[in-house]
Amino acid sequence: MSYKIAVIGDPETVIGFSLAGVSHTHVYRDKNKALGQLEEFLNNREIGLILITHRVVESLGPEFHQVVGKKGLIPLVLKIPDKTGYSPEKDELSDLVRRSVGIEIPVKTEGE
Amino acid sequence: MAAAFTSSPNRMELMKVRKRLALAEKGHDLLKDKMDALVMELFNTLKTIQKSRATAIEQLRKGYEAVSACMAVMGTFETMQAAEETKKEIQIEISERNIMGIEVPTVEIEETERNALTRGYSLHTTSSHLDTAAREMERAVKLLVELAELEVTALTLARELERTKRRVNALEYILIPRLQGAMNFIMMRLDEMERENFTRLKRIKAILEERE
Amino acid sequence: MEQVIKFELGRLNAHLPVKRISLKSALSASRPAVQGKNGNLHYFKREELKLLSKLLPESEWDKLQLPILIALESKLGRGAARISGEIEAKVIGKILQREATDNEIIVYRPELALIRRKLPTTTQYMFVW
Repeated sequence: MSYKIAVIGDPETVIGFSLAGVSHTHVYRDKNKALGQLEEFLNNREIGLILITHRVVESLGPEFHQVVGKKGLIPLVLKIPDKTGYSPEKDELSDLVRRSVGIEIPVKTEGE
Repeated sequence: MAAAFTSSPNRMELMKVRKRLALAEKGHDLLKDKMDALVMELFNTLKTIQKSRATAIEQLRKGYEAVSACMAVMGTFETMQAAEETKKEIQIEISERNIMGIEVPTVEIEETERNALTRGYSLHTTSSHLDTAAREMERAVKLLVELAELEVTALTLARELERTKRRVNALEYILIPRLQGAMNFIMMRLDEMERENFTRLKRIKAILEERE
Repeated sequence: MEQVIKFELGRLNAHLPVKRISLKSALSASRPAVQGKNGNLHYFKREELKLLSKLLPESEWDKLQLPILIALESKLGRGAARISGEIEAKVIGKILQREATDNEIIVYRPELALIRRKLPTTTQYMFVW
């Protein structure tokens, strides 16, 4: 099935992705509006992928995982760095993998 | 605890317990095989993610740089304007594929790169920096889509691995020992009963012989 | 607990296709896929189909059945798997750079990882017990 892409981030991030042809965008202004928009994107059947910056994810706090946890496989959600390149130390994927496999597997690459 | 399994220790019960034990051991072996395969799949996916993340993030960085450069040259407002005029046609195809009964997404994206003429913004009010920015971001989107598929796949596999591990452990540390215990208990009781029978028969025989 | 075992065992092979399709059909379809016994669809990636088509002469494209089944059998022991079928074994042999014999090929864990990395959607696991 065909889907569109959505992006949530700071103004420059949004401009960049709009230039690339991404149809659904939201510039982060405050937490509640962003959570609302995120939920809208998650419920929008046209959207298959949501790109969201690490900074915004952190600003949204635990509510982010609550909201995202409720949805099924689609839309896919991918956290991305913004222009500052910031990405948090804690990596959900590494943690989950370490728990399930029992050993450390490097997922983050150098300079991340 | 073993006694809880059997109403009365007899041969029928022993047979039933043996069957259940065989099923549990078979299930344990198979689920262990599944675990091995899952670990391998997860490793494979993670290896690919490492590469994919590195290239995607590098390309994204280039894209952001190009956008900044464009805004510096053309002006923030003008860049935003051009971004709004750009055609928003990117589509991705998401379907499912299956790994050992686990559903994971498979994503395909058509060529994302367009050229200056077809993007939608007017050429004479914009600079070539805009074209560069758009092109670098288009490339970034393609790589990010591939990365998203891999990450969701890895997450799904890891969760399934945890579930399977729990099942294997429950079998190995709870159910199988319990069934083995029950089996041993029944066999022991059957032995005892046979010995009691044997002793009783001997006594009866002795009494009968005495009478003669 | 035992309900769970039965359920999990049932689940192990439920995804296997009711009917496989040939490489030839897959190449000409716009969204090539097979349907599992559980009703779920399983799509093949185009780049894998292209890889397979390069490994075989065109005359054999209609003989390769997809997905290629990797059989995990308890009697082979852990770490080994069997791929059966003349053309299937042949193409796996080509990827591993060794010969298949008697229309089948037994592969070992590191080879298995390689195959799954190159053909993640055109191969599938099958548990045999």
